[in-house]
Amino acid sequence: MKKLPTSVLVLGLMASFLPSLGRAEEPVDEQATPVPPVAEIVDRANRVAYYQGKDGRAQVAMEITDSQGRSRSRVLVILRKDDSEDPEAAGDQKFYVYFLRPADVNKMVFLVWKYVERGKDDDRWLYLPALDLVKRIAGAEKRTSFVGSDFFYEDVSGRGIEEDTHELERTTDDYYVVKSTPRDPGAVEFAYYTNWIHRESFIPVRTEYFDKNGEKYREYTALGVETIEGYPTVTRSSMKSLKTGSKTVMSYTKVAYDIGLPDGIFTERYLRNPPREYLR
Amino acid sequence: MKIGDAMVGFALRRPKTVVWSMAGSTLILLLLALLPTLWPGTFPFLHSLRVDTDPENMLPADEPVRVFHNRMKGEMALHEMVVLGVVNRDDPDGVFNPETLGRVFELTEFARGLRWERSGRPAEYEGVIEVDLIAPSTVERIEQAGPGTVSFKWLMEEPPATREAAREIRAAAARIPFLQGTLLSENGRAVAIYLPLTSKDISYRVAERLREKIRELGGDEEYHITGLPVAQDTFGVEMFKQMAIAAPAAMLIIFLLLLFFFRKLTMIVSPLIVALVAVIATMSLLVITGRTVHIMSSMIPIFIMPIAVLDAVHILSDFFDRYRGNADREKTVREVMATLFTPMLYTSLTTTVGFASLALAPIPPVQVFGLYIALGVLIAWLWTIIFIPAYIVLLPAAALENFGRRRKEKRVSAGRLRRSLSAFSLVRFLAAAGRFTYRRSGIVLLLVGLALAGAAWGISRIVINDNPTKWFSPSHPIRVADRVLNEHFAGTYPAYLALTVPEAEEDTETFAAGLSARLEERGKETAPEVFARLRDRVDRWAGEAADPGELLDRLSGYAEEEAGRAATFTEMEDWDEALLFIDRERQRGEVFKRPEVLSAVERLQERLEETGVVGKSSGVTDIVKTVYRDLISGADRDLVIPDTGDAVGQTLITFQNSRRPHDLWHFVTPDYRTAVLWLQLKSGDNRDMEAVVQAVDEYLEDSPLPAGIGHRWFGLTYINVVWQKKMVAGMLQAFLGSFLIVFLMMTLLYRSALWGMLAMIPLTVTIALIYGMIGLLGKDYDMPVAVLSSLSLGLAVDYAIHFLSRTREIYPGAGSWKAAFPVVFGEPARAISRNVIVVGLGFLPLVLAPLVPYQTVGIFIASILIAAGVATIFILPALFKVLEKFLFPRTAHRALICRRGTCLVSAAALVAVVAVNLKQFFAIGWTSLSWWSLGAVIVLAGACFLSSRRDRCRAWMGRRGEDKS
Repeated sequence: MKKLPTSVLVLGLMASFLPSLGRAEEPVDEQATPVPPVAEIVDRANRVAYYQGKDGRAQVAMEITDSQGRSRSRVLVILRKDDSEDPEAAGDQKFYVYFLRPADVNKMVFLVWKYVERGKDDDRWLYLPALDLVKRIAGAEKRTSFVGSDFFYEDVSGRGIEEDTHELERTTDDYYVVKSTPRDPGAVEFAYYTNWIHRESFIPVRTEYFDKNGEKYREYTALGVETIEGYPTVTRSSMKSLKTGSKTVMSYTKVAYDIGLPDGIFTERYLRNPPREYLR
Repeated sequence: MKIGDAMVGFALRRPKTVVWSMAGSTLILLLLALLPTLWPGTFPFLHSLRVDTDPENMLPADEPVRVFHNRMKGEMALHEMVVLGVVNRDDPDGVFNPETLGRVFELTEFARGLRWERSGRPAEYEGVIEVDLIAPSTVERIEQAGPGTVSFKWLMEEPPATREAAREIRAAAARIPFLQGTLLSENGRAVAIYLPLTSKDISYRVAERLREKIRELGGDEEYHITGLPVAQDTFGVEMFKQMAIAAPAAMLIIFLLLLFFFRKLTMIVSPLIVALVAVIATMSLLVITGRTVHIMSSMIPIFIMPIAVLDAVHILSDFFDRYRGNADREKTVREVMATLFTPMLYTSLTTTVGFASLALAPIPPVQVFGLYIALGVLIAWLWTIIFIPAYIVLLPAAALENFGRRRKEKRVSAGRLRRSLSAFSLVRFLAAAGRFTYRRSGIVLLLVGLALAGAAWGISRIVINDNPTKWFSPSHPIRVADRVLNEHFAGTYPAYLALTVPEAEEDTETFAAGLSARLEERGKETAPEVFARLRDRVDRWAGEAADPGELLDRLSGYAEEEAGRAATFTEMEDWDEALLFIDRERQRGEVFKRPEVLSAVERLQERLEETGVVGKSSGVTDIVKTVYRDLISGADRDLVIPDTGDAVGQTLITFQNSRRPHDLWHFVTPDYRTAVLWLQLKSGDNRDMEAVVQAVDEYLEDSPLPAGIGHRWFGLTYINVVWQKKMVAGMLQAFLGSFLIVFLMMTLLYRSALWGMLAMIPLTVTIALIYGMIGLLGKDYDMPVAVLSSLSLGLAVDYAIHFLSRTREIYPGAGSWKAAFPVVFGEPARAISRNVIVVGLGFLPLVLAPLVPYQTVGIFIASILIAAGVATIFILPALFKVLEKFLFPRTAHRALICRRGTCLVSAAALVAVVAVNLKQFFAIGWTSLSWWSLGAVIVLAGACFLSSRRDRCRAWMGRRGEDKS
């Protein structure tokens, strides 16, 4: 496996952006930085978050800490490949999620075929080695816990931008604040969410979910961003469930892009025989 | 009595001072309690009225079982729940029809939003905990969806449109062990929504909002709201009703009875004033000292009122019998008080001791109850002694016209005739009773003996049991809901069994040695170099790491680092293998993932369900089995625990892919070292819970759980059992203690142990009979019944004191019992009878109270008083006849024997009192205490013997003996 040179640029999110989130908003000089239409903002943010390179890999360490301070961890490898060859397309994708630890779930695999078409369910397969069992999960609900963490499947694989209507609520010095409302409110548990998108990098830095009573109950924060192989990449992020007081921190290591993952990996056949050379 | 004379003298000289000081002091106490209650916050230094309806508070907050209960509730994120049951009896599909399920759905949506900001604390919410809400639309189902495919979805995604869809929901729910019998009834007629609350004190508000919503919904369904928090809140409401209805009713009845006996409105107002003042002062003091109004303390007024009236009735009764026309009022009052002061002092003191002894029971609300009634009795005594005389002399002369018993009633009006007739019949009845006890003393004593034998048999049949739900009367909505829901579901009384692995299975050294060996073993199979390096580290760090966890942390840190440095793919894989191995070591402690452990828990669950009391139990085992079944085939043959730990782990992680992954943590902790079984009991009877506890103890004794897993109960149903046990033992000792103290007081009062024993006989017989009746009637020995023993002790001895004191007064004049008894059965017996009737009936209004414990107390106190009155009037005179020689000794020799006997018995009683109290406070074992006590008794007996041989004593005895003869 080749080692890619990684130029790391820490944007210093914690130091500079986050405190400004709550800062009083100042009128923005529209001339100096033209504000793009909201569709473009959302589209670029979606690409930055989920479509860097044609494919990619990362080892993810999850630390789930509950309201009592008890924590448990998971270590897994995520492989991703875009269906379209066109680097500009933000279309269907495939994910291969391989579990390293805890030891009792070692070699467990999730395979996800993500469809961006509105209302179309993803395809998802599950391989449980100890049960020697491969199962397809029908009508896979995207907004369920990702292996017991506070992240949902959709937070890991990305939510289709067509699922919601978006409006630019305001523009601050550093962020576009976009409010997104679901087109099909019955299919999701939130009433709307707001996304702080960094104006320069288009990285969504904070996302807050609100319920029907207008109460915030869930909060995503990007904790660290590095530029890897030229792509700004969130390398640490957290999701808090305000209703349970639980919090999950994901740390991405061994991130690589454009590694040339073959399509064949993302099939049922590879569930039982993991592509070891791509998992390191 | 010098003090008595001084007090009465003062009251007669300065009557106005007495009245004003009473009114003033009471008003000050009332204001101190009322002001902070009406204007909270204005008087930060004062306590306001606080109500406490939590049965948990029957035990002190630091009681181990409560501490454990709260810790486990926190650890397992368990909350008090309001249960909303929906029943449809008419529809062929029960609740599983589109309309009912539509309403259930709507109610659930409504319940989700039952949250509001905590008053005074913005951004802090209280209400229903949405994430833990259990309803058809908030729980998940996993099922087969074609070959090789499973689906996860909400049990009821949306209200079904067709009957078909509604039936399908029932079928799906019935397959899930966790839901069957909990969320839906097996017959399909009922569903339950469980609403966990942030805190139980908001349950009334939640229940009210639900009721409003239910009214809006319409439909033919029955709705039942229950759950412990609702019961508690309702209890608080009913408690105040009791105080608002029963206490005034008692006052009214006493008033009417007094009017009946004494006829003079202006006179009988005085005892009522004393009663009112005593109640107000005591309740104010309760509030001022920061005590809560609890189920027990709410009964204080109704207890103080009749007792406070008691002494005043004696005064009035005596005054009524002595006062003639225009006699000198002051002189009559002095005479009355001279006769009554000592017996009243002693009756008040014994009542005080009886109640104060409750302070020895290890149950805080009972302690408060006993102490404050004792206080109230003393307050009532004080004002009776000085206020009643002051009141009598302050009355204008005209007010006393026609007061007093007249033998020859001339002016006959219909009403008055009836009254005189009754009074007359009381006189005649008592005279006849007197004759009967004199002529047929043997028969009386024989009957008593037979009754006691029957009582002993009854007492042996007493069943100790309680159930806070049954504190409500059977027709109360709470009881109805309880009955209906238990009919449909597996049980509404929750109890929890915590299964825990002891903290340290191995110390670091032992673990390190084992780890080293396992590393060597694994190194033989793969990556020998890497595993050798790990062993090296283990040996180096074994001494430094505080615990096995830290050793593993350091080891994995090291392995991560090395893996990062790895130059080749093989090397990298080797380190990955090492990391996996270390993680597996870490998981060795996850006991509740081991199949053999889960199987053992499963067998325990089966045993639980065999008890007949446990409708159902749920645990992590059920989650594992259900998910496993639905992953494998969906067929019930696969509803089993998988046979490897990894399979369990993977089943559980699949479960956590759901919308409610946190549900798992209600049943097991994330370290998998503590698991909790949630039991649904069909009955909240302590006796049934105890049977379950015993069954589990016995079962686990025979087949202990693996890995040294220990078990411990929590949950309110269990806490009730604990406080009941403490109460029964505590009450018995409190009773024993106060019995002995009262006996010593009686011996002191009469300077004779024989007389002391005589004074104890009516109450002993009474208590034996009452408890015998409880056993015979099959009435559970519950909290109110337990408290009664000490209460009746303080009350029932009163009659004996009055009877004995008056007899001792009358006997020397009469010279023999034959001559004395007709006098004793005159005015003294009448005073006692009036008292029995006034006070006994005064407790009866408690029957009007909506809560069962109050009714029990009312009925039993009334029966105790009546039984004690009857026992006094029949047994004591019969004994006088039989024991006359010893009671009124005529020879010096007999007197001496009596003296020595008194001294000895008192010594033994004293030692016993000390022993009982020491036992209470220092929890000393009985064995060592008995030896010490025996020694003390012998020493004291010696002292008795020696002191009685002193010449002075002998001379005095001799003289006394001669006087008598």
